[in-house]
Order: sequence, then structure tokens, then C-alpha cells
Amino acid sequence: MTALKLLSRTKLYWGLIAIFLIGVLGSPMSSKGNNIFLSYGNLLDVLRQVSTTGLIATGMTAVIITGGIDLSVGSLMAICSVVCAMLLTVPGVTPGVVLGVPTVALVALCLGFVVTRFIFQNLAKSRAGADLVRDIRLDGIRGLVTPAVVGVVLCCLSLWYLLPQIGSKFGVPGVLLVAPCVGLLFGALNGFIIVAGRLQPFIVTLAMMVTALGIARLTAGQNNAVLPVYTGSNATADFEILRSLVFGVIPMPGLFFLGAILIYGAVLRFTPFGRYVYAIGGNEEAARLSGIAAGRVKIATYAISGLLAGIAAVLYVAQYRQGKPDAGAGLELDAIAAVVIGGTSLMGGRGSLTGTFCGVLIFGLLSNILQLHNINSNLQLVLKGMIIIGTVLVQERNAGDLLAYLRLPGGQAAHKETTAAKRPSQETPSLNLGGNKNETT
Amino acid sequence: MKRRDMLKLAAMTAALLTTTALLTTGNAYAQDKKWKIGFSQVTTIEPWRAQFNKDILAEAAKHPEVELIITDGEDKTEKQVADVENLIRQEVDALLVSPKESAGLTGVVQQAIDAKIPVFVLDRNVDTKDYTQFVGGDNALIGRAAGEYAVELLGGKGKAAGNVVEIWGGMGTQPAHDRHNGFHEFTDKEPGIKYLLDQQSGDWKQDQAYNLMANALKSNEKIDLVYGHNDPMAYGAYLAAKDVGREKDIKFIGIDGLPNEGVQMVNKGELTATFTYVTPGAEGLRQAIKFLNGEKVEKTITLPTEKITKENAAQVLKDNGL
Repeated sequence: MTALKLLSRTKLYWGLIAIFLIGVLGSPMSSKGNNIFLSYGNLLDVLRQVSTTGLIATGMTAVIITGGIDLSVGSLMAICSVVCAMLLTVPGVTPGVVLGVPTVALVALCLGFVVTRFIFQNLAKSRAGADLVRDIRLDGIRGLVTPAVVGVVLCCLSLWYLLPQIGSKFGVPGVLLVAPCVGLLFGALNGFIIVAGRLQPFIVTLAMMVTALGIARLTAGQNNAVLPVYTGSNATADFEILRSLVFGVIPMPGLFFLGAILIYGAVLRFTPFGRYVYAIGGNEEAARLSGIAAGRVKIATYAISGLLAGIAAVLYVAQYRQGKPDAGAGLELDAIAAVVIGGTSLMGGRGSLTGTFCGVLIFGLLSNILQLHNINSNLQLVLKGMIIIGTVLVQERNAGDLLAYLRLPGGQAAHKETTAAKRPSQETPSLNLGGNKNETT
Repeated sequence: MKRRDMLKLAAMTAALLTTTALLTTGNAYAQDKKWKIGFSQVTTIEPWRAQFNKDILAEAAKHPEVELIITDGEDKTEKQVADVENLIRQEVDALLVSPKESAGLTGVVQQAIDAKIPVFVLDRNVDTKDYTQFVGGDNALIGRAAGEYAVELLGGKGKAAGNVVEIWGGMGTQPAHDRHNGFHEFTDKEPGIKYLLDQQSGDWKQDQAYNLMANALKSNEKIDLVYGHNDPMAYGAYLAAKDVGREKDIKFIGIDGLPNEGVQMVNKGELTATFTYVTPGAEGLRQAIKFLNGEKVEKTITLPTEKITKENAAQVLKDNGL
């Protein structure tokens, strides 16, 4: 039984392994007799191709765990890609500068203030030895003055760094600072409206999706459907680094994706913030009553989602040598699909970034395999849809329920078990095991 | 409990094996072909692109030694780049690519060139000169042909007179500008020709052109000729004129001349003329095969345009099996 338990615990990876095996066994051979699917170049292609969706899905996972959803990420990526391409290629005061530079200053100001205050608060808390006190009153100096000073200093620093670059074109560190900040600001705005206005995340981010698309188009200007970025001729040659192979081993976008998964994964797993995210998704009211500042945590998840969309946008610009208002169109749906395939529940409270990582890879490998076999592209869409449903049924372990509903063999037993397990009065040890398994995350 | 999991496991293994088997048999079938040529198309759900694919498939059918792989970029740069990367991995002998846009596809085309795959760029160019060949139409050339014919329709060189409505394609797009400039090279020389609309775009769409034309008809008593940057827009203008009973007084000129679209419209007498914007599908594949067989090919091939009027429309339809 332990073996079975292990099997169900690791079910996330089984889907990935199954897809991988299909890829390896079914792969066409190259003229030299090599397995094309397994070739290092092909696997790198997959990693590079999934990086953008992966980064977006990483931010999306935390948002979905809190029970929310972020539909605006695709459009946020569009804005950031336009800003990034504009800063890289056009010198002088452009709409990109007008949007980007004040945003960085504002974000620096707010972040400086919030983070300093947070640090003081935690210091005070640990000194008071009262972890559960929701808000410790800080005096004027530590509560207001110092954070404000830190914020202003950071703000000035960022302006001191960015303003000289306006005359010429921006460099790589410059755009890597500006684009994510723009994403962060819009993301935070999403979160703020959702929390302060007590609105449904779905409608708020839907509205943001439309608004942001409009802003992206306004920023790009009417005559520029596409802002091309030619490294070396109209933009700095350093930008090429963002699409190159690091040490010839791993593509830079892949590195960003893996880094985001590891860091955010660790944050969700090991920090109080991470536990709060799960707690809010499990039961927001209970979380709030137990002293969690649910609003702030939620704003943070949306802000980080926007931030990652901004980073994805820079990588997109590097990868496809262009920024444009329709970059990232429909990306939010791919990301949500990947998150759900990874076992994160859309109801919130359950899920993990390891799952999302697997989900993203399953998606990427699937496209790659279908493409390697030159399957008709219309058929590919049908197959993809079917495989998403299939995978989610297995992940959510409701496949048995479906079979039972259709009164098929194999399903009967499963149905009985689940229904029995849901009725506590009839629990028997053996059935209980089935019930427990149904709740493992 | 156990049985259920066993069943599941068995079902999964079975599914895995079947898929693998299916995929392998799929591959085995194309082994005896001599050349494997990959073609990365932007999208398949647009009339001109559909004709493009039809043309290239028809050409491929004439060459039994060629295995043609067509991928569909689903109108997204990202997807098309992934498609080309994939074709490179499959070690195709030649790569045909019709880019969604220049900047987005340049990187991956360069990658193919670096992998020593001859690249044939079709219809829209990329920003590198290292490809083997570019095959495409010339919109300015077509615009000139349309302009020349418009002058002829309105009374001939030096004497042409009349009110002209021009319906633009997408405002920011190069093809629209080229089609505009070519047309005006001829019509601007005629003092008798007046232009009624100032740069109004129908965005290549029939319904938008209809609305534009409906307005133009209200504010102008006399319209002699409509020049649409593509056939659907010229047809939209025709419908608008027909709805107010003025279609007989106006000549309609369109561009693209797809057999099942513009040519049909000309044949029915709805459009006066259309100018073909031939898809580079057939020519591109012919050139690639030529190159693979060791012949030299030119760096650039510009496809000619053909004027289609009532006289030759029926013949063109017949040639295309319609």
C-alpha cells in the first residue's frame, strides 16, 4: 500500500514522465540515426519555448492559490514589451520613457517605504515576543519618517540611474529594471482594486486586460504595430545575452524561469508569507480572523504576478527581437491551463509550484511532440484540448468518478469508495484510506 | 482499491504503447522520399493563405521525390518561431518560410542558415541577406497595373476624368502603402481625376469597406471608380452601391484575384477587374527543388501580376477547376 501511496503522491511527475516516454519512444530519427526528440538542442528548444509561459504561470500559481485569478498578465506583458523595445531602440523622451521612468520612481518610493516599515515592524514584534499581534504601533520615527526617507532615497537613486539614459538608448540593466517595475505597478493596482474595492478578481483583471491592451497600443503609437529590435544596429548588442545560451549549456530565458520557480517556490514553501497565501485560499475569512493581513498578501501576489509578466516581456523582446501590443495575447489562458494541469485547484488553497513546473513542461513537450510528428495543426488543437481534460481528470483524481457516472467497470468501485469516504459515519479502515488519498494534495 | 489502481495503470500503459506505435508507423511511411522540405506558414484561416497552401500542395504533388511538411503558425510569431525551430531539428533539406513579420522571424531564420539549411523566404522578407532566395509579389507593381487600367477606364491617358474612391487596407502596413503609391503613379498625372476620400482604411475587410462606401455614396452624387486595396473591400463597396441602386454607374477594381474570390466576382460582373497577387507557393517550391538538384537560383524572384477582367475570368476559373 505504501507503494501505491507513493505512486499517488508523485502522480504529478508520472504525467511528465509518460509524456517524456512517448516523446522518446515515438520520436522520429534524424538522417544520422539520432533520436531527434532526445537531442540536446531539441530539449533546449522546449525549455526556451516554455519560458515565457512558465514565468507567467509561476506568478499565476500564487494568485490562484489565494483563490483569485489574473487575466491581465498577457496584456501587462504587451505593455512591458512595448516599453522595453521602445527604450532600447528610440532615444529621447518617448511614450515608453513617460510611462516607464516615473513608474520606477514610484515603485522605488513605495517599496522602500513598505519594506523598511515591514522590517521595523518585525523587529518590534520579535522584541515584544508576540508573533500573533496583528499590528504593532510604531512610533513616528520608525513608523513613518525612516521608511519615508528610505523610499525617497531609493526613488532618487533610481532616477539618478535612469535619467542620464533617456538622452541615449537604454541599456540592458535599464530595461531589466523598468519593464518589471511597470508590470509590478499594474499588478499591484489589480490587487489594490480587488482588495480595497472588494471586487471579484475575475472582473477586475478582465478590465485590466482590456485597459492594459489599450495602454500598450497608445504607447506603441498608431503607426507602429511592431517595434523591431535589432541587436547591434538599433539596440545595444548586449541585449543578445538575454537570448543566448549561458555557458553554452542552458538558455537564458530558461534560467530565468527555473530561477523564478525555485525562488518563488521556496518563498511559498518556507516563509510565513507562503503559508498565508495557502491560508487565504483555504478560507479567507478564517485567515483574516486569525490575524493575517489578507489584503496585503493578496496585493503582493498580484504585484508579483505583474512583475513576472514584466520579466517575461523583456525575455520575449530579446527572443523575438520585437515589442508589440499583441505580444502575449491569449497567454493568460495557456498559463492557467499549465497551472491547473500542475494540480493547483482553481478554488484556491491547494497547489504548488513544482506542479506548475511539471504542468508547463507537459504543455511544452506535448506541443513539441505533436510538431515533431507533423500532425495537422487543426488536429493538434483538438488533441491538446483533450489531453488537458485527460490530465486534469487524472490530477484531480476524478477519473474514477467520471467512469462511475458513465457506469463503466472500474468506476463502480471508485465511486462507492469516494462516496463512502465522504460519509464519515460509514468509515471503515480500508475505505478511509481511499478517502485520505482523495484529499492528498 | 488495488484493482482500480491496477486498471488505471494498465490503461495508462496501453495508451502509452498505442500512441507510441501510432507515432512510429506515421514516421515509417515517408522513408523513401529523397528530399524533405519544410514549409512554415503563418496561418491557414485566411483566404489568401489558404490559396497559398493549396498552390504549394499542388506543386508538391507533381514531385513524388519530395516530402513536404507544412506547419501552421496560428498567426502568432511565437508559434511560428517554434515551428521553424522544430523543422531545423527535423533536419529538413530545405526550409521555406513565409514570415508573419520581419523582425520576429529574423533570428530563427538566421539559426536555420547557421545550421546549413538553405532558406527560401516567401512573400514577406526578413532582415538578413544570408538566405538562399526571396520569392514574392511586388505590391507597387500591382498598384501600377491597377492605376494604368483605372486611367484607361476613365477615358485614357491625358483625357481621363472622374471621381475616384480609394479604400485603403491596413493603415500602418507596407502592402497598403505600396498599392497606394503604385496606383497614384498613373492616376496623379491625370488632372481630371479627383479623389473623394482622404486616406480611409477598410482594414482589408469587406464590412468596413461597405460602411465607408455607404457614407461616400451619401455625400457624393457622382462616383466613377472605386479602387479597393483588396477584392473583399472592393466587393464591400460594390454591395454598398448595389443597396442604393448605383452599382451600374461605378467601376470597381480590386487586388488579389483569388480564384474562388476575386475572379468569381469579376466573372459575375460585380467587379470590373482584379489584379492577381500570386501566392509564392508553387514558385517557391519549384525553386527549392531546383536548388536541391544542384542548379543555381537567383537571389530574388518577383512574381508577375495578371489583370483579370470579364474576358479572361471564365478561363482562369476553368484552369483552377472551378
